[in-house]
Amino acid sequence: MTAAPVLIASLAVASVVAPGCARPDRDETVVLWHSYTGAEKDALVEALQQLNAAKTLPPVELVAVPYDVFADKITNAIPNGNGPDLMIFAHDRIGDWHRAHLIEPIEYFVDEALADRFAREAVAAMAYDGSLFGLPLAVKSVALFYRTDLIDVPPTTTDEMVALGRARTNRRAGAYGLVYDNVDLYGHAPWLHGFGGKVFADDGSLTIATAEAEAALSFARQLASADGIVPPESSGTMIATLFNEGKVAMAISGPWFLADIRDQVPWSVTTLPVVSDTGRPAAPFLGAEGVLMSARARDKARAFQVMAAMTSDASAVLRARRARQVVPNRAAHEVEDLRADPVMAAFRRQLERAVVMPATPAMRLVWTPYKTALQRVIERGEDPSAALAATQREVQSYLRHAGEAAR
Amino acid sequence: MTPRYVRAYGLAVSAALIVAAAAFVRYRNQSFEHRELERARVAVSAVATGSTPLGHTVAWGVVAPPEATPRYPFLPRRRLASGRVLGGPSAAPGDKLLYDAAARTEKSGPFIEFADDLVIATARCASGTAVAVSRPPAGPEPVPYLVLIGLVGLGAAIAAAGARRGGNAASAGLVVGAGGLAIPAAVWSGPIAAGLVMSAVVSVAWAEQRGWLDRAGAALVRNRVAYSYMAPAGAAMLLLVAVPFAMGLVLGFYDHHAGTWRFVGLRNFIDILSGGGHSFADPLNFWFTLGVTVAWTGLNVALHVAIGVALALVLRQPWLRLRGVYRTLLIVPWAIPNYITALIWAGMFQREYGAVNLLLGHLGLDKVSWFSSWATAFAANVTTNTWLGFPFMMVVALGALESIPRDMYEAAEVDGARAWQRLRYITLPHLAPALLPAIALGSIWTFNMFNVIYLVSDGRPGGSTDILVTEAYRWAFERGERYGMAAAYATLIFVVLLLWTGFGARLRRGRSE
Repeated sequence: MTAAPVLIASLAVASVVAPGCARPDRDETVVLWHSYTGAEKDALVEALQQLNAAKTLPPVELVAVPYDVFADKITNAIPNGNGPDLMIFAHDRIGDWHRAHLIEPIEYFVDEALADRFAREAVAAMAYDGSLFGLPLAVKSVALFYRTDLIDVPPTTTDEMVALGRARTNRRAGAYGLVYDNVDLYGHAPWLHGFGGKVFADDGSLTIATAEAEAALSFARQLASADGIVPPESSGTMIATLFNEGKVAMAISGPWFLADIRDQVPWSVTTLPVVSDTGRPAAPFLGAEGVLMSARARDKARAFQVMAAMTSDASAVLRARRARQVVPNRAAHEVEDLRADPVMAAFRRQLERAVVMPATPAMRLVWTPYKTALQRVIERGEDPSAALAATQREVQSYLRHAGEAAR
Repeated sequence: MTPRYVRAYGLAVSAALIVAAAAFVRYRNQSFEHRELERARVAVSAVATGSTPLGHTVAWGVVAPPEATPRYPFLPRRRLASGRVLGGPSAAPGDKLLYDAAARTEKSGPFIEFADDLVIATARCASGTAVAVSRPPAGPEPVPYLVLIGLVGLGAAIAAAGARRGGNAASAGLVVGAGGLAIPAAVWSGPIAAGLVMSAVVSVAWAEQRGWLDRAGAALVRNRVAYSYMAPAGAAMLLLVAVPFAMGLVLGFYDHHAGTWRFVGLRNFIDILSGGGHSFADPLNFWFTLGVTVAWTGLNVALHVAIGVALALVLRQPWLRLRGVYRTLLIVPWAIPNYITALIWAGMFQREYGAVNLLLGHLGLDKVSWFSSWATAFAANVTTNTWLGFPFMMVVALGALESIPRDMYEAAEVDGARAWQRLRYITLPHLAPALLPAIALGSIWTFNMFNVIYLVSDGRPGGSTDILVTEAYRWAFERGERYGMAAAYATLIFVVLLLWTGFGARLRRGRSE
């Protein structure tokens, strides 16, 4: 399938979901909050301009809200009636926002045909407690970036990764094999899942202190130890600096890293390796970004028309081309130039080996205590089982409180 | 009726009116809610038995049990028992209320509640879930202005009659006249509202009889200029300091979870002060954090004072050239917003590229992972805050040094005092009165120096360099929005600082005696 039929198909969908809307006035405007910047913002604006120009949809008013205050603004504005009709945000707040009655379930409007537009995990990430709360715009996970001038063939197993990394590591010269955000659960998650660990079991019980999680933590400690391949205190901007200066051969990061790589750096990206000890692939967290509807949206049917059009295949192809977003639309994966793009292909393959980040409110209690365990073990060399047990106890105490309060 | 009694009656009746109005609003909302929920209940039971609901029901129906969509468990299809399908990409939005209400009932049982200007009621029945959506015909009852105006007028007449006879009859007239509002308050909201009305009226009458109103009024008139100047600042203090402070105190006795507040008494404080089941060596234990905070404050203030006073003494030397330039340069750290300084220092302590480690490297030393152990992380924090804090102490010391009379030094020199003796017996005793308040202030700032801790070490490693105020932040924003715990922490911080300033004030008094 080429771009043209996709476009026609999505226009057909748009015309079905969007009955005529002749004279747009202020009251008919759908207000959309987003925190996109740079290329992602440009692509969003362009996609909406096309939709607005087609006159088949209600006009959309875009409001840019900085990412770091986005969640707070939503929790304050929507109950007071000053909030948007639609908002673009990561899926992991859905549980919280649903419980606070801030977002609207939309499964009423969505049928299987519409859901089939997207990769299954992406639309599943937008669901919570048996309801659907959004349509996915982009999916994000980390993958393995490597410098092609330092590494010819990327590793497919962790043993290969460590061997390749050792060859590049020279601590005196400040050169290392691999860099990733190792004292953060998001960065550590690929190993956790690769060793068979989980944060929550399927029944929702907490499984932080397990043998699998200990093995993953020991592995991470080994990577960062004195004869390891990961530099100490490697996070945030450091990752890009080391990679750009050629002081590190491999970096684990997400699509946002593309903007940080300098032009003259020879690089490529591929999927994370298989964990040699278990034979399972290292599986990062999958985060889905979607458009959600406010529980106070003024006209829900009209707001949904915009949601459906924004996530159409044509819009997805445009966003993928302009902003290199990894879009969840199945049809977009078939478009020639997008399929040929090695970066998009690598991230798409990685997404097949990713674990959807839990959208439960309980998950939000895990990040900081887990970070403590990672710091204790990786930076201070403490015993993984004691550190994980302490983290499990801490999270358990917060969950116990949540349970008592809910009763 | 003399102006005195007009004033007293006005005051009493205003207080009574406020209570009565609040009682009415509460009564009105409750009765409205009760009536409409009851109507919705009747409507939904009608729907459940298959009859047409009466009244203001705008949408209703029995929603059949959901049909699962095999591939998407979160996309169940629902239809009315009559066969009409609910939902779909081009469905009318009106059915959405029925669909969502049925979905919620299947998950967590039947409910009746307001949703904006609608009332939604659901009930389980044989063929599925009955849903009735009603639109209440009109809003709640209007305020009974005529009743209130009549009562106020009648009360004024009674109060005037009492005032004409004077003495106790005047007070009795006031109480009976303004207290008449207790009757509707009792009808609307029960004995508590009536009691509030009566106690407001009686206290005004009491104050009037004791002459307090006269005195307060006279003072207000006499000092009206002063009060009018104070009013804006007073209002601002009330709004920006007193109200948030009182709210903070109260919130410490509540527990917050997912948007709902629950009174828990002293539990937050007990949890905190008992260490929450963590050992004393665990950074999550309050006493550990308090110890770190005290060490942090003590060390910082000591360094601020020592460096500040030393620099002030040097800057005061007559042989020093370009004094103004140095003085300006030394004040710069204080003039830059402290979070910017904190971010710069955080970067300088970075392991791979940080300036501090590069410097150590040039000296032939190994790189230090500053935030991997408590001592080095704490040292990094202290260094940053010392950089931020010494200019204040230096400025205070410079000012105090200027005020020491020169002739004391001359007299001391004539008596043969050496430089050390002059410092010990003249300079330092004269510095102390100026420095002690600065130390008190500096220790409060340092005790609550959120920016440095959060931006430099961020509690690393493992929360062990957190101080009380960052710990309060983490309770509020990183541990499930436990605002009650955060407020309790803030109260404890306040108590600690109150004790400390009380102790400091005693220290100062002791010195001056």
